Amino acid sequence: MKQDYFSANNIKYIDYKDVEILKKFINPNGKIVSHKRTGVTSKNQRALTSAIKHARFLGLLPFIVK
Amino acid sequence: MQDAENKVNNDSLVETSDAVSKIYEFGYLLVPTIKEEDLSVNYGNIKELVSSFGGEIIADDMPKAINLAYTISKVVSNVRSKFNKAYFGWIKFTMDSQKVLELKKHLDLDPNFIRFLILKTVKENTIATKRFVRGETYKRPKAKSKENEVAVPINEKEIDKEIDAMVAI
Repeated sequence: MKQDYFSANNIKYIDYKDVEILKKFINPNGKIVSHKRTGVTSKNQRALTSAIKHARFLGLLPFIVK
Repeated sequence: MQDAENKVNNDSLVETSDAVSKIYEFGYLLVPTIKEEDLSVNYGNIKELVSSFGGEIIADDMPKAINLAYTISKVVSNVRSKFNKAYFGWIKFTMDSQKVLELKKHLDLDPNFIRFLILKTVKENTIATKRFVRGETYKRPKAKSKENEVAVPINEKEIDKEIDAMVAI
């Protein structure tokens, strides 16, 4: 993913409930994919990180996958 | 002197912005022991609770049964209970920032919630875009597979002819 996913799809607010989108940005172990690999802008990467963490808190995404 | 005046102006701005209501989103997990029939009652109670604190509801979603990504444990009156399933719902509303704290204190005492999250958010619908994206991504592989299906019988005939030619030789 070289281009910013969120600006390409015209997503202005990254929602923690959009689990399908957030799943693209976690690796098979459940870790958040780094900014270097995602190609998302710094601002969106920060928003993405907090969205994933909120989703984890409410049990929508895993903290770790064994 | 000008600085002092600016400070006074800023202070007054802060005071006014405190009174202005902000947009919040309240996401929650309900205990799975609630029956499906009673779910709408709980859902109505949550809505009433939010509006009783002066909240104006913008958007919301019925609680739906989901499988949790991991086991959540909660201790209620010295009893530890573990949950693998829950009802997940959310509600978006405008409310004064100080009332939200009162709402949170009230929700902390409610035994029906496993967990909840109150976030600042934007007024626009944030989920509509997701469905649009999904539709796009699903259409493409279907169109490709149809093309392949059409191409396959033509190839078979050509192959048959080629095999016949090979046998004749």
